[in-house]
Amino acid sequence: MKAITIDQKKCVGCRNCEMACAYEKSQETCEVMFSNIRVSDYVGRGFVVPMTCFHCTEAWCMKMCPAHAITRDPETNAVIINPNRCAGCKMCILSCPYGNIHFDHVHMVSHKCDLCGGKPRCVTHCISGALRYEEVGSDGLRYRKDVLPEETRG
Amino acid sequence: MGRVIIIGNSAAGLSALESFRQYNSTDEVLVISKEGTAPYSRVLLPYILRGKLPYDCLNIREEDYFTGLNAKCVCEEVLHVNAAEHTVVTDRNTYPFDKLLIASGSHAVSPPVKGLDQEGVLHMWTRQDLDRLLPLFASSHKVVVIGSGFIALQAAWAAVSRGLQVTVIELMDRIMPTVLDEKGAEILTQKIREAGVNLMTNTVTEEAEKTADGRFLLHLKDREPVEADFIIVGTGVRSNIEFLKDSGVVTERGIPVDAHLMTNVPDIYAAGDAAMGPTVFHDAHMTHALWPTACEEGRVAGENMAGKDTVYEGSLNMNVTEMFHVTVASMGKFRDSETEKSYLFPEESGYGYLKICYEKNRPVGGCLVGSWEAAEMFGRLRKVIKDIDTDAVPKEIFETVLSETIPGGVC
Amino acid sequence: MQERKTYHSICRMCGSGCGVDVEVENNRIVKVSGNEENDINRGRICIKGSSAATWLNLPERLRKPLKKTANGFVEIPLEQAMDEIAAKMKELQDTYGKQAVAGWKGEGTGFNQNEQLMRRFNRAIGSPNYFSNNTQCNNSRYEAFYLNYGCWPQADFRHTKLAIFWGTNSPAAHSFWTQDLNEGRDRGARSIVIDTKYNEQAHIADLFVIVRPGSDAVLAYGIIHRMIERGVVNQEYVDTFTLGYDKLKVYAERFTGEYVEKITGVKPEVIETIVDMIQAAGRQVCSWPGTGVEHQANGVSNSRVCSLVDALVGAIDVSGGMLINENMKTNSLVLGDDVPVEGEPIGKSVYPVVDYFKKESHTLMLMDTILTGKYEGRDYPFKGLIMTAADPVMTEANTAKTIQALSSLELFVVKDLFLTKTAELADYVIPAACNYARDELYFNGMEQSVYLAEKVVEEPLQTEYEFLKGLADRLGAGQYFPWKNEREVIEYMIEPSGFTYEDLQKYPSGLRTVLVHYHKPEERLAKGEKPFPTPTGKIEICSTVLEQFGYPGIPTIDHLPDCILQKDEEYPYICMTGARKIPYFHGRYRNIPQILKAHPHAEAEMHEADAEDLGLKEGDMIRVTSRVGSIEIPVHIMKHDTIARSAVQITHGWENANANYLTDDSDRDPISGFPNLKTFGIRIEKL
Repeated sequence: MKAITIDQKKCVGCRNCEMACAYEKSQETCEVMFSNIRVSDYVGRGFVVPMTCFHCTEAWCMKMCPAHAITRDPETNAVIINPNRCAGCKMCILSCPYGNIHFDHVHMVSHKCDLCGGKPRCVTHCISGALRYEEVGSDGLRYRKDVLPEETRG
Repeated sequence: MGRVIIIGNSAAGLSALESFRQYNSTDEVLVISKEGTAPYSRVLLPYILRGKLPYDCLNIREEDYFTGLNAKCVCEEVLHVNAAEHTVVTDRNTYPFDKLLIASGSHAVSPPVKGLDQEGVLHMWTRQDLDRLLPLFASSHKVVVIGSGFIALQAAWAAVSRGLQVTVIELMDRIMPTVLDEKGAEILTQKIREAGVNLMTNTVTEEAEKTADGRFLLHLKDREPVEADFIIVGTGVRSNIEFLKDSGVVTERGIPVDAHLMTNVPDIYAAGDAAMGPTVFHDAHMTHALWPTACEEGRVAGENMAGKDTVYEGSLNMNVTEMFHVTVASMGKFRDSETEKSYLFPEESGYGYLKICYEKNRPVGGCLVGSWEAAEMFGRLRKVIKDIDTDAVPKEIFETVLSETIPGGVC
Repeated sequence: MQERKTYHSICRMCGSGCGVDVEVENNRIVKVSGNEENDINRGRICIKGSSAATWLNLPERLRKPLKKTANGFVEIPLEQAMDEIAAKMKELQDTYGKQAVAGWKGEGTGFNQNEQLMRRFNRAIGSPNYFSNNTQCNNSRYEAFYLNYGCWPQADFRHTKLAIFWGTNSPAAHSFWTQDLNEGRDRGARSIVIDTKYNEQAHIADLFVIVRPGSDAVLAYGIIHRMIERGVVNQEYVDTFTLGYDKLKVYAERFTGEYVEKITGVKPEVIETIVDMIQAAGRQVCSWPGTGVEHQANGVSNSRVCSLVDALVGAIDVSGGMLINENMKTNSLVLGDDVPVEGEPIGKSVYPVVDYFKKESHTLMLMDTILTGKYEGRDYPFKGLIMTAADPVMTEANTAKTIQALSSLELFVVKDLFLTKTAELADYVIPAACNYARDELYFNGMEQSVYLAEKVVEEPLQTEYEFLKGLADRLGAGQYFPWKNEREVIEYMIEPSGFTYEDLQKYPSGLRTVLVHYHKPEERLAKGEKPFPTPTGKIEICSTVLEQFGYPGIPTIDHLPDCILQKDEEYPYICMTGARKIPYFHGRYRNIPQILKAHPHAEAEMHEADAEDLGLKEGDMIRVTSRVGSIEIPVHIMKHDTIARSAVQITHGWENANANYLTDDSDRDPISGFPNLKTFGIRIEKL
């Protein structure tokens, strides 16, 4: 199984991922509000981290969606939102512990990472190497392992 | 091979079935629903009414859903449960069980007002309600909504969206007491009125009189009567537990359950609107009648029924919707009276009215009448309040993000 | 549905040259992604690169040649345009002399190959000049590196132990360096960012040091001074391979901690930390001077002294240091001195070092020459300019003068993809074929590899080669352009390498022609050869070339800009222009709609305390006035001390807030003639 992994210490906050995702999904704009990956840049503490859906094994957004609009893509393992079924109730947004689901105020539906069908645009635009799309284990802790700092890796 | 019965095929029942099957693929599972065998989502009713979603989106599982999960679903009404004999009696059959989940949900109730039992007075709670409301929305001009809670206001917003003239009548002096604090309610009230709704608080409905032309005249205490083509009553729901009388399962307003979602009877569990489960705030038994709580309780019940020892961390009330051009959301404790301190986001944050509440410097909830961006914060808040294990993001990263987005978020 | 085909190619949206996968459908570029097989960028590209798919398909692309008439531009057939341009060039050269007309190469459709072609063209038509924007970007460092080392070395960030970035933001300017450095960091590399403002590069730095504008070299000397005092100098290396260390040592003595702090704002203990880090890195140091240090009135010296940190620890041509790269042998397209020209190159007599290394004429002095008809007091009619895909109205210092000069030419031809601000001034505008519609050869210095960026789409538009050959043919210089097309040009270029065009075709993700190996200077020394390609064969800390032309041999920074020494009451703030922004490249890409939506306007970046002094809030409009001109621009407030106090940064390239209306073309580096774009006084008024 492949997933997007994040090595926070490599991120330079260039926001190429944000711009690329926004454009890939909107085909109109690179504005961050259309992006499924968001870079949080806390200049004051010199900390920057890109965040995008982890396609959690226990996907609460999927569980909580009252419209059955969120399913798992059997091919990519991506948790995806079907915009035709999304009511726009935002329950998924309230369910995601990481703030990785966003709202499209034009179409009034939630949107999130769908792994671009297996070729994530954010990763090909991550010039720093912080984002990778790679094989990970099938256990629920796969991301933790991959995002932990070097010295604590097993 | 064991026999499992699930009463109810909405949020809690489905969630339980899916979780059960993650750990047990062999036991026989029977789902009994009096509302038909196709699961639907009552949360979607207002969205379908206002045309956001087509009608067929009401169904939230595929046709082969039950067979795919090696389960059977029948449309029967449960009349009685016998805990001692481990049987469920329906209007057609008697079924023995080894494990039972009562996820029978709730029904909408009306206030004791004369005339609310007539044709043309509806709730917005079931598929049947929707089927009756849809033609009324299409053909009518005026609607009165009694009540100003979450459901009532969603019904009002759906009616406004469809171009109906809407009057909302609320007995109390404010709207949405279970979802918003006073300030939030005040702001939403403004938004509702700006949308052209005649919102009347402190108003007592004395009678819904049916006029000769089949319309209604609502007589109000100390106020001019209000006309309506039809009436929607949104004044709350009650657990569906009548069939448990003399069953051996203890009931109160709902069915009290422990942290394994088990009733007083081993092998019998309850979840969702019918249950009174523990909350994250250490209430032993509380009914939220909320979709997410039903999902969570269903999951825990299903896992325990499959033999997994899952302890529920407790329900956390959360509400969210977009209505009257604003995102309305709340979670946990958000009233100043029940929390120690609160933080109000400044205007320049662009979030609108967003308040986070704390107890012992730990976030315990918040409420929002504002931008959808602010709703993202509630997900993080939920994780903190429920103390869910971070399996995706390392603690130090999560806490940094949290402390930068929610003041005092790290505890 | 049309079949979609993917080609490996090289991105030309900036000069970095990343490998890309270009997806083509129905002869149209539909998607650009990173090429995972390319060792330069390993599958990763920036938003500029992928936006080529939009940019090159914009409806505003020029499709028909335009001729300016009394009623504005009218479309004319290409052949007519070429005939008329050639006839006018001939007329001007016959009337005023061969020097009256020349070509100026831009970077809109390609890089190195276009430069060689334009140089060839100019000489072929008898012009002594060759122009490009390099006279205000890149050349100062080119000269600095060549003065020091006799070549331009490559930083090996992947294996370094310490990278020092001086006034450069590689995520914006050389995106793949970020990945390289992160690979190095995986192996334990550390990095220092020295800049006037916090940038993306600083996010992954172990140490970020804010310097006052224009004071970088003072800090560099402060570091060198302490390296010498603390013995953090590879003495054996310095004795063997460098020239003039003693002079440097003496000059460095004045850069005491106290003095350096006074000028740069950097405390002595920070310098100690930097020296500690250098010491810990041994010879694996890459001290990289960026455009931030070269765009100054001491640009060459600044760049030299920053880079000398490497020389002093012996980091030259070692793994993890600065590679002296080799590549396959090629034929240059540049014509030799045997082809006669008429007249003197503009700038050569004033900036002989530029001519010595780069043979490039001076664009700022060109503007004066056009306007006055004189160069250095001597009659010098310059009447016709042929410009390919450059936009000096946006990029040249002193925009007002640039517009005036270009507007007064008798013949001004611009060949570009779009009707730029510069093209609007032209007599003829010729639509250009884009980079993906032509064959171009690319080299990467660090990989020591060659890349064939093959044509992937057919455009019914003229390439630069066809344009220059077409003009040369008409002007009787056709013998210098014997090749049918650029494929034949490339075949000529690679002939000495032993590789064929087909070889390169087989390896579209790069062909490593020479394996990287280090310690070549040591090997050469052992063989009795000159270790470095400088006149003395040594790293010339004290340059014999500079001395030959009457400059001090060591990098001197005796003339610091007045505005950093004392506050100028009339122009109390220090303006810096030109910081790179991720989605843009100089004056380009403001017409890519999706990027413009995300980054819609220019900003004047300033310290929050300065903004407070001026009563400014985020987004407030201000008028910025320098001695040269003024612009109106919204404010962006930099919080958390992320920019030097009193400094204001304005990125160039915005039409309605063009920073070059502020920059002074007459305030120049004495060696390279670079304009001072980074340290000039301004005043600010709230609007």
